[in-house]
Amino acid sequence: MEKFVAFAIKYGFLIVMAGSFIGFGLMEPSFWSWSNMFSILLGITIVGILALGVTFTLIVDGFDLSIGSTAAICVMISSYVMVVLNMNYMYAILLSILLGVTIGLVNGLLIVKAKIPDLLATLGMMFLIQGLQLIPSAGMSIGTGMMLADGSEAEGEFAQQFLFLGQGRLFNLIPIPVIVFVILAIVIYFVLQYTKWGRILYAIGGNEKAVKLAGVNVEKYKIAAYVLSGTISSIAGILLAARIGRGDVTSGGGLLLDAVAAALIGYAVLGVKKPNALGSVVGVIFIGMLLNGLTMLSLPYYTQDFIKGIVLVAALIFTFGLSKSEI
Amino acid sequence: MTDKRPIIKAINISKKFGATKALSDVSFDFYEGEIFSIVGANGAGKSTFIKILCGYYGDYEGEILIDGKLIKFESPRDAYEAGIQVVHQSIEQGIVQNMSVAENLALEMIISPDASFVYDKKKIVKRAIEIAKKMDLEYLDMDKNIQDITQSEKQMIIIARALATKPKLLILDEPTSSISDREAAKLFETLYKLRDEGVSILYVSHYLAEVKKISNRVGVIRDGKYGGLLYQPLEISQIVKAMVGDLESAFKRSYDEKSGKKLIMELRDLVVEGSKYPLNIKIYSGEIVGLIGLIGAGKTELAETLFGIRKPISGEILIEEKSANFKDIHQAIKHGIHMVPENRAVNAIIPEESIKNNITLPFLDFFSKFGVLAKKNEIKASKRMIKDMGIKCEGFDALIESLSGGNQQKVVVARWLLMKHNIVILDEPFQGVDIKSRRDISKYLQDTTKKSAVLMISSDIDELMDVTDRIMVMNRGRILSNEKTSEVDRDRLLSLITQE
Repeated sequence: MEKFVAFAIKYGFLIVMAGSFIGFGLMEPSFWSWSNMFSILLGITIVGILALGVTFTLIVDGFDLSIGSTAAICVMISSYVMVVLNMNYMYAILLSILLGVTIGLVNGLLIVKAKIPDLLATLGMMFLIQGLQLIPSAGMSIGTGMMLADGSEAEGEFAQQFLFLGQGRLFNLIPIPVIVFVILAIVIYFVLQYTKWGRILYAIGGNEKAVKLAGVNVEKYKIAAYVLSGTISSIAGILLAARIGRGDVTSGGGLLLDAVAAALIGYAVLGVKKPNALGSVVGVIFIGMLLNGLTMLSLPYYTQDFIKGIVLVAALIFTFGLSKSEI
Repeated sequence: MTDKRPIIKAINISKKFGATKALSDVSFDFYEGEIFSIVGANGAGKSTFIKILCGYYGDYEGEILIDGKLIKFESPRDAYEAGIQVVHQSIEQGIVQNMSVAENLALEMIISPDASFVYDKKKIVKRAIEIAKKMDLEYLDMDKNIQDITQSEKQMIIIARALATKPKLLILDEPTSSISDREAAKLFETLYKLRDEGVSILYVSHYLAEVKKISNRVGVIRDGKYGGLLYQPLEISQIVKAMVGDLESAFKRSYDEKSGKKLIMELRDLVVEGSKYPLNIKIYSGEIVGLIGLIGAGKTELAETLFGIRKPISGEILIEEKSANFKDIHQAIKHGIHMVPENRAVNAIIPEESIKNNITLPFLDFFSKFGVLAKKNEIKASKRMIKDMGIKCEGFDALIESLSGGNQQKVVVARWLLMKHNIVILDEPFQGVDIKSRRDISKYLQDTTKKSAVLMISSDIDELMDVTDRIMVMNRGRILSNEKTSEVDRDRLLSLITQE
């Protein structure tokens, strides 16, 4: 029995995942087609990248609630730069990333220096950004040829090169965002598993004081975790803007919760019980696959959040519930 | 002793965890009106035995007889109703924060299933005073918040509450671990009084001096088995021998003063925070120096200053005769100053990490190239430390939680002995560490301290007399004495430590 539970904790999640992959394919053979595979992957990249970002803050026993709104404001800022200001797309990318870094830095300073609890600091930041993104365009979405405040028409447009980031495909098959996602995932996995920075981030999450007494500048690492979270969120925002090709004021909705859910599901993968890059990626792919398969089997769209919730709760039971309780 | 009758008999108690036998056939009797101590090295099965008596493990084998009647313990409630009361090691676990003194005393009236639905403050205070009287605690302000009284008062409240149920057996688990010596002395007075009133007390402690002082009988558990009974007059060496067998007897090493000793650390008129006395201390290579003093003597402040946690108010720290100005821990380590902090759970252990990751933590720069960890080197280094310090574990990858307390402490010490250093400071290194691990650590320090030095801070004089070459006494920020351990007069030292 004990062995079975240990096995279930370690591989249960992956077995369920493999089982549903086979099950969907048997019921609906087109599920297994390459084009469907990539459509699943494309569908999850934005949330997946955000999940990788929030993983860093979860590792240091923190939280970043502002990831979704950071992505959203980057959608707005890159649209504004190209459409309203009629500037080169490189500025759109650079400004977005700069904004992501700044938001992360402010979050980090609020938490580490001003000692505001992480949830509250990033909740405040989330509100601030959600409001801020509406201001340049006076609350309106930004699209090519939109009417400006002075009555004239916006002259700029989304650059083709920029749109390629969200809509292009390599070899006419692999979507560019998927490639970005995979590269990011591999780099982050490597950093967390094989470098001293990853080791120290995890150690801080385990016992901050002990790490401090080992001579590590803990504050620097914690701020870095939030800066990385903000930066990665801005990359997600850029890809999102490139994919939808307009500055949609509602584009950030739902991103935060989906990303956090994926990262939490990731705790259950291989029974590591900690935030981890592989887990976050697997978590987000699992949700994407499940929704794709169920939709093919004509599941109504309005049940999607319910399904995600079930998966999350089940994963949390895998992670925390099955492990031995201590007296 | 013969006129007393056993109230509780534990007969052939065994307990398995999976395939491992934690206890096999352990039997002890508890008489009324006596203090019975249970001792055993960490991992010997002492706490398993206590937990069975408290009803935490329902699946034990063997029999527990209370007043001659067989009772099967399935849950802590069973033990409670059978008249067994436990005062746990952690005081914070025994009290309810944010409640008043009265509410904590009369807790049973508030939380028991038959408690009245209406909160009647008058009744609660009345009952609380009744309970308080058992421990002469009536002087406490019943309305005070529990957070505003001292640790030992909190503990007295917990004991008073336990006594209010008229227990047959009162179990005290490491009761002195978080109170001062003076408070402990008061606790012992109380225990004697209770004993003379006929209460049966089961006492569990790491401090063998206490065990020797207060116990009528001592029961030994060794490697999960019955290890014998010891009677007054007790000797510490006899208790140790029963616990762990014959250890390499008193390993007074020959510390050669002349052989090329080098000045490692010098403090010149160093004034640390909270003190107004300048300190002048010299520590040489090959030396193990003890620093002893009461809580508040300034030991911790000094240690923290030497490790870069606090800034000195004035004066100088010299390392190898060169002035060393360090602003933080990182730079102190760069100067070859390493420190094992007190209280490993709070200050040192990284939970849910492997032994290896816990050992190499401060020196990841050394174990990595361009940030990428060289795990092979890490593994080699941790294996070496595991072997040299005799860390009992399943391997370098085992989680730190899988080790006993003593072995966890070895890991924490190994962390700072791993790399070359000038001096390693150990702050209360033997708190909550069993005697076997204590000896292992001491022996390792004595064998390896040649080119470097050790400064060991403790409030336990016997610990220091065992290991050190020289002992300094600190009292209210001043060094009152500094002499070779071999020439130390224990009683004189004690009076220096406590003198006002």
